[in-house]
Amino acid sequence: MFERFTENARTVVVLAQQDARERGDSAIDTGHLLRALYAVPDNLALMVLEGFSVRRADVEADLAGSAVATPRSSAADADALAALGIDLDEVRRRVEEAFGPGALDRAQEPKRRFLGGHIPFAGEAKKSLELSLREAISLGHNYIGTEHVLLALVRGDGAAHDVLVGRGVRLDVARVMVEELVRGRRAG
Amino acid sequence: MNEATEVAAAASSRDPAVGLAAVAALRRLLESLEALQVANARAQGWSWQQIADALAVSRQAVHKKYRRTVA
Repeated sequence: MFERFTENARTVVVLAQQDARERGDSAIDTGHLLRALYAVPDNLALMVLEGFSVRRADVEADLAGSAVATPRSSAADADALAALGIDLDEVRRRVEEAFGPGALDRAQEPKRRFLGGHIPFAGEAKKSLELSLREAISLGHNYIGTEHVLLALVRGDGAAHDVLVGRGVRLDVARVMVEELVRGRRAG
Repeated sequence: MNEATEVAAAASSRDPAVGLAAVAALRRLLESLEALQVANARAQGWSWQQIADALAVSRQAVHKKYRRTVA
């Protein structure tokens, strides 16, 4: 399906993979895709985000916050440990102070056999890329641009959806904005 | 009941669901900390034998457990 992607949209996917690798994440999730949209200058998705006054710094902060707030399903563990008088957040804080962010949660992941190798898409990210095709088709566009990726992120599940909807982005409004932008400008 | 007494009650709970969940959570925390510390020790040049001695387990046990996750 990538053959229908515009140059910018391909760059977004490549940058999302790079971002995941640099962060030591084991899969590309919708958060990586959203960050990558901001990393490609002057694209249509950014104009839509601008229309909703959703700024890069806010998105970065929201994504970082959601990653810290839900490290695995450790909320239940935190409660259970609290019953023993152990503060899991404090343990995590001290470990991260010494070993860096995410150290405790990363500790047990298998080492990557090929540094710089292929990083798979998480289920939600894969679904988003499929949805971007559907968004393009339903708008009558014969290509997939950054604008369709953005619509798919709003429409699908995942961290990007939560952040965007939380920041007031509405799918129906975003679609209208895309239609108008595309009418006035070549695809991006 | 305020929060502090609730926690105290949970800690001394005879309810197996509460007690076992706490043990399971503790084990997950232990495993994470152990993996982190073993990786750190290897990164600092410790031998598997030195790590095993510090953990009070056999060299074979620690090597088998971490050879796939730690260089």
